[in-house]
Amino acid sequence: MKRISTLSFVLLLVALFFVSCSKQKELHVYTWADYMSADVITEFEKNENCRVILDFFDSNEALYAKVKAGATGYDLYICSSYMVSIMKNQNMLQDLDKSRIANIANVDKGYLKLALDPDMNHSVPYMISFAGIAYNKEKIKNFVPSWTMFERSDLKGRMTLLNDVRETIGAALKVNGYSYNSLNDAELKKARDTVMRWKKNIAKFDVDEAKRGLEAGEFFLIHNYNGDALQLIDQNDKIAFAVPREGTSITCDDLVIPATAVNTDLAYRFINHLLAPEVSAKNMEFINYLAPNTAAQKLMPEDFMNNPAVRPSKDIMKKSDVLKDLGENNIKYSKIWDEIKSGE
Amino acid sequence: MRRSRFPLYTVMGLVLFLYIPLVIVMANSFNLSRYGGQWGGFTLKWYSKLFSDRTIWYAFRNSLIIAFSSTATSMVLGTTAAIALYRFKTRFQNLHRLFIHLPLVMPDILVGISLLLFFVALKVKLGLFTIFLAHVTFCISYVAMVVLGRLQDFNYAVIEAAMDLGASWFTAVRRVMIPMLAPGIMAGGLLAFTLSIDDFVITFFVSGPGSATLPLYIYSMIRHGSPMVINALTGIFLVFTFSVVILSKKLLEEK
Repeated sequence: MKRISTLSFVLLLVALFFVSCSKQKELHVYTWADYMSADVITEFEKNENCRVILDFFDSNEALYAKVKAGATGYDLYICSSYMVSIMKNQNMLQDLDKSRIANIANVDKGYLKLALDPDMNHSVPYMISFAGIAYNKEKIKNFVPSWTMFERSDLKGRMTLLNDVRETIGAALKVNGYSYNSLNDAELKKARDTVMRWKKNIAKFDVDEAKRGLEAGEFFLIHNYNGDALQLIDQNDKIAFAVPREGTSITCDDLVIPATAVNTDLAYRFINHLLAPEVSAKNMEFINYLAPNTAAQKLMPEDFMNNPAVRPSKDIMKKSDVLKDLGENNIKYSKIWDEIKSGE
Repeated sequence: MRRSRFPLYTVMGLVLFLYIPLVIVMANSFNLSRYGGQWGGFTLKWYSKLFSDRTIWYAFRNSLIIAFSSTATSMVLGTTAAIALYRFKTRFQNLHRLFIHLPLVMPDILVGISLLLFFVALKVKLGLFTIFLAHVTFCISYVAMVVLGRLQDFNYAVIEAAMDLGASWFTAVRRVMIPMLAPGIMAGGLLAFTLSIDDFVITFFVSGPGSATLPLYIYSMIRHGSPMVINALTGIFLVFTFSVVILSKKLLEEK
């Protein structure tokens, strides 16, 4: 027992030593894991003589629950646009002083037209991702980049749609020419009928199994996200990805400074650093997502920029929507979703 | 009489159901194919990628600090709690017993969010210290339960003998009872250690800036990170947790 207590005492001392040995300025970033190149961080630390400490959440909702309950100490969040608008409405974010971010001029103006915060009053876009169709080139004849592929009865049982209310109903809204964020009952009804028609042809509504199924050859065409598709293509060269010409849903992760930030100055500098063309390019290379940063995009190799799984074409971009949080109106979608799931 | 084979099949089915996924994850961590859909050849690439990531090491360091410190503390507190429960039978001890049992049955998310609100209300800075406190609260219970189990076979006459020979109650506990309970205390400690190092829900809520632990990192990686690195990490953790559990079992069996 004596040995045990001596051992644990020594360990406690070691622990305390570790905890108490930092004196530099610190920037605390709350973000997704593996979402930024390590080089980018080291470079910033060297330039500013500070330490960047990353903390992680696993979903936007978890982040919200935690900071809403009063957790503080973070200087920067990187989270999805819809969550940014929720937090903005609750006065949890600072308004940005754009004059302190010189590189803000690099942000893609085309994307900003779609963004939920087009003037960047409280958020700066970091990376975008979007939904589309991944398919097996060998198995599908006459592929058309369109949501209407789900009407094809010759692919019956070989297709899947995302098991996600907003994505799937949204795709049906889009094919009918409406917005992903539509609240119009007539439009929603039409979208419901479309999904009901698709449902007859698909094997199931699914997210993860579908990817494995596509790779293994069980499914020929799946509705999924570009990031997943990239990994699938990397793995299996028979797989290709296309963004439907009608338009798609775009999700953007934004950089925001919380109202409770301690080291605001450093947070501004970090945002500015992330928007620098070379830095942004390095991050794109690392995550394989597209940063809405015009100057950085010019630095990327052509095959990266022309890859449909990285960047939708300008025309499609224009027709696409950034998913909004619908608040109380979410119930409209979940009601239709229930009808779809239980209907014949 | 012929015995029914049914229990055997049920047990086999259950074992398969519980352990096959773990085996698959382990096997996949050596799989060259990035998605794990098919076997692409043997590789240690994911392990090397895992070992070269500085954030993972930082998180791992945090996890170890928390696990060791909260285990040590809860071993002391849990053992004293168990001895108190064994020695005294009053109405207060019934309440005490309830307090020991509560953390075992309370949903993690409730514990997590209420601790967070509590810390925020007291203006305690969130960080390693708050994670440590939270882990101690649930680790105490596990240590106390294991030590209590060991106390059930404890022969109180030994203490009485020690006291007859002139030892005070405190000396008797320190020199006789605790050495005899040591395997139980260690086993409880190891159990607490595995629980502390695995915990996600409570840790997520009470962690502060700069105190991300390994489980927090892993969960967050699921969205953008490479699933294969997660497999490798899971592999290491499995080996680690299993050896700790086996060790704790060995200690408990010792008479």
